[in-house]
Amino acid sequence: MSEPAGPLRRALASAHGLYRRIRAWRRIRFTAGGVVFTIGTTAVGFAALNTGNNLLYLLLGAMLGFIAVSGWLSEQAIRDLRIERRTPRATTVGRDVVLTYHVRNLKRRFPTLAVEIFEEGLAEPAFVSHVPAGGNVTVRSSNGFVRRGVYPLGTVVLSTSFPFGLFRKERDLELPGEIVVWPRHDLVVRDPVPGAGHVPRGGPSPRGAMGWRGEYRSLRTYRTGDDPRDIHWKSSARLQKPVVREYERGAAETRWICLDTRGSESTGAERAVEIAASLAARCVAEHRPFGLATPEGVIEPGADLGTLERALDLLARVDFSPTAPLPVPPVGRESCVLVSLTGATGFADTVLVPSEEVAA
Amino acid sequence: MNLRLLHRRLAVLMGMAGLLAFAGGAGFEPVTTALAFMALVAGLFWHPDPVRSARMERIWLPLATLLVARALVHVFLIRGDVVIPVVDLLLLLMAAEALRALEAPNDLRLYALSFALILASTAYRPGILFLVGFVAYVGLATVALMVGHLRRGAERHGVRNVPLGRGLLTTTSLLSVVVLLVSGVVFLTFPRVSQGFSGRGDTMASSIAGFSDEVSLGQHGSTISGNPQIVLRVEFPGGAPGDIGQRHWRGRSYDRFDGVRWSRSRGLPPASAPRSWYRERWEGPMIEQRIFAAPLDSRVLFALHPAVDIDTENSIQPLVDNAGDFLYWGSGAPTYTALSPARAPSAERLRAAEDGFSPSQRHFLQLPQLDPAVTALADSLTAGLDTRYDRVKAVERWLQGFDYTRQLPATASETSLEHFLFERQAGHCEYFSTAMVVLLRAVGIEARNVNGFLGGQWSQFGNYLAVTQNQAHSWVEVWFPEYGWVTFDPTPAGQGTGSVTSSWFWPGRILFDGIQHRWGKWVLDYGADDQNGLLSQWSGFLTGEREGGSEQGSPGAATGGRSYLLAGAALVFALLLGWMWVRRSGPTVAPAARVYLALRKACAQAGLDVTPGLTPTGLLAMVRRARPDAARASERVIRSYLRWRWGGEPLEDVELGAMRDALKAARSDLGNDANSRPPRAGFPGVREASEGVSS
Repeated sequence: MSEPAGPLRRALASAHGLYRRIRAWRRIRFTAGGVVFTIGTTAVGFAALNTGNNLLYLLLGAMLGFIAVSGWLSEQAIRDLRIERRTPRATTVGRDVVLTYHVRNLKRRFPTLAVEIFEEGLAEPAFVSHVPAGGNVTVRSSNGFVRRGVYPLGTVVLSTSFPFGLFRKERDLELPGEIVVWPRHDLVVRDPVPGAGHVPRGGPSPRGAMGWRGEYRSLRTYRTGDDPRDIHWKSSARLQKPVVREYERGAAETRWICLDTRGSESTGAERAVEIAASLAARCVAEHRPFGLATPEGVIEPGADLGTLERALDLLARVDFSPTAPLPVPPVGRESCVLVSLTGATGFADTVLVPSEEVAA
Repeated sequence: MNLRLLHRRLAVLMGMAGLLAFAGGAGFEPVTTALAFMALVAGLFWHPDPVRSARMERIWLPLATLLVARALVHVFLIRGDVVIPVVDLLLLLMAAEALRALEAPNDLRLYALSFALILASTAYRPGILFLVGFVAYVGLATVALMVGHLRRGAERHGVRNVPLGRGLLTTTSLLSVVVLLVSGVVFLTFPRVSQGFSGRGDTMASSIAGFSDEVSLGQHGSTISGNPQIVLRVEFPGGAPGDIGQRHWRGRSYDRFDGVRWSRSRGLPPASAPRSWYRERWEGPMIEQRIFAAPLDSRVLFALHPAVDIDTENSIQPLVDNAGDFLYWGSGAPTYTALSPARAPSAERLRAAEDGFSPSQRHFLQLPQLDPAVTALADSLTAGLDTRYDRVKAVERWLQGFDYTRQLPATASETSLEHFLFERQAGHCEYFSTAMVVLLRAVGIEARNVNGFLGGQWSQFGNYLAVTQNQAHSWVEVWFPEYGWVTFDPTPAGQGTGSVTSSWFWPGRILFDGIQHRWGKWVLDYGADDQNGLLSQWSGFLTGEREGGSEQGSPGAATGGRSYLLAGAALVFALLLGWMWVRRSGPTVAPAARVYLALRKACAQAGLDVTPGLTPTGLLAMVRRARPDAARASERVIRSYLRWRWGGEPLEDVELGAMRDALKAARSDLGNDANSRPPRAGFPGVREASEGVSS
């Protein structure tokens, strides 16, 4: 089928755009009660026509009046609302994420009652039972994610069947945002064999050496997750922004985790991501510096929560592809632990994950 | 008050309003209604716990079964009115629902039962009480439905406390005014395309004696003497005559008397005078009477004598029998317009009417076996009088000298006509009219007995004449050649009306009846003609035309100007609505995110599997793999987006412009303009909705 000509195409696009706007403006659906009520109204109308009974016309008028009032009140319920969404920066697979909505009623006279706030693609809505005229209220919804990723939040749907439960009226609001869903990082993973002799370890192990911070290296801008004890207050005061001290630890103590993304999306691939995340989390718990290398990016070594968050952000975004390259760590492969579906040579240790493995 | 309790009380009050409306239509059986009412009142204040409620189920079920069986017996065995047993069943079910535990989610059943009562009452012809019940029902339903909806929503989402102030409840109840307004508008404007096959609802017909085919002497007027029920409401569009209190509202005539009862001969030949006689030879202008009659078991149309034309306004069909009486066919309360001459011919003209056509003498000179003294009396009363009119007046005057009493004779022998004429010389209207007819027939003058109503009470509130049952009356019609049947009334003047109309409650009753009359006229009998009249008035108002001709100057230009004005106002209104709509629907998405989202949509439209969790780099990889021709442009968009999103660098306008150009190129390469949205779908990585929550 040939494509429509330019003007026709533009007209179609305009019509579609108009439809989109109308649809986003208001949508109305029947509820079960509304179906019964509408059928009843139609039946009373037919009865009035067939019998000429004026009281049935009166009754028909009242039922239509209920429908009209229902439409007007539902419109009042969802109009003139200012909604702010607050989302946590990230959540983890399997944990509930609480979305918080701050709802302000801009109407001067009418309260808002019984409005549900749906996120496109999320199951559980938040319920606004009552917002007085000019008032505001905070409500929450709780949803869980079973897969890591970056979930864009775009459209918030205000939905109500107020006041009579006959019809459900919906309105779209564009509230851009996103939720980063980190992979699980609490798996029990075997401790990588430090190279079976391949991973050089110089000096004493820092395991259990609480408070050991290595040699001072430099100052840098504070990032989320940094240990507040590392804030250099004098410099922060001088620069008018928080800065933290960075310490340098021995390169030999750094565990480099390489995630091999060659392969197709599968539960095994997810498992590989979770193993990489769990290895990183264990390093942070043990105050051991770690670095992460994937084909899509490299996280510089660190032992703080900020480094872990950045690593989890990266792991939330990685995609598996049969044609993906092997990760290239900034150090030699013989210093790295590889998490892979297929395996590769030259690494100190390899955690091989079967691609068909079912996630626990 | 918590939501559950408030909602239950409102639903129970809805039931009470339904009961009130039904009682206003079909009446009620006192015992059943009282029991149901008590149960509903109890339901307002007492609510059993779930355990006790479950125990009470054992009572309701057998009772309901019994009532269902009773209804079936009515339908199949007795073949009686099934409405009353069904309504009893409805009342029982409503009582059962009202007395359930508060936790029971039975609100929809309570709504349905009370609505069924309202619906059932429309099958009748209810009075103003229906309106009271209906208005109360609408008001309560508006609040109850809202509270019920809030209750369900709060329970589903685990919200414990929903603040419902009195102001909110008051405002919501005021919205019922809007419902009633819409109801009124629909009622007025919905096209009455059909008069209906089933009629407009019947009232229980009132029984009234004296208008069937046979009337016993002493039956009519005595058995109904104390009944103040209004049977006729008469409006006079052309103005009421001055002597309206003394007018006879003619119903049925009787030609055969057997000494005890009057009856109508089956083989009566046409005995009515031509209408042209009444139109042309009777005096005065025609009196137009718009009559709203209560439905009686005798289907008689009452009007001033002689009615020359009767035009019905509802579904009934008028019939004229050989005696010239007006009857009707059809159900419902008759509403009709009658035309009658204002006055009978003058005495001089009646005296001159001696020769001409006379109706069947076999019927109108028929006499039973009489005491010869009666004939002698008739001869003596009319002796020496030459004209028919003078003889009639002589008999009338003589009888008017008797006394009027509603006391019936004490023994059977005293009920005879002879006893009335020669010994008692007192009685009620039937004795007077019967005596006059017999005396006139005895001297060869054709006469007949007529039943109807005399006079009536003028209602200042409604500008109509209210005629009650206790104004039932009998009088005489005498045949005059060339003029037809002329009315004479031998009953002593001023004796025929009851004492009810002078009692202390009568003004209140007539006021209430005025409201009922308006209700019947404007609501129950509102029809296509009324609708057309209303439409004409409105169109006249909008176009500037008035009844009786157009305005001076240029009516066409005025009409056109007003039409343009209306069209302009409609256009401005539409533009205003459109502007408000556009103003409110502007999204607030960051420009870089908007461009990136547009690219995702373009890719989705191009057939790529763009899932919600797909990352920007994943999207890029997908484009490279599936549509390498669009990869270059897509990469520019995605790189810019990543820089803005993750790099913490705001994009300059130039960069945003380059990003948009890249988007255009990507769209072009992908083969769509990406204006449409992907269908709404759940994220594949999101947990499914828990049970009971709609999405």
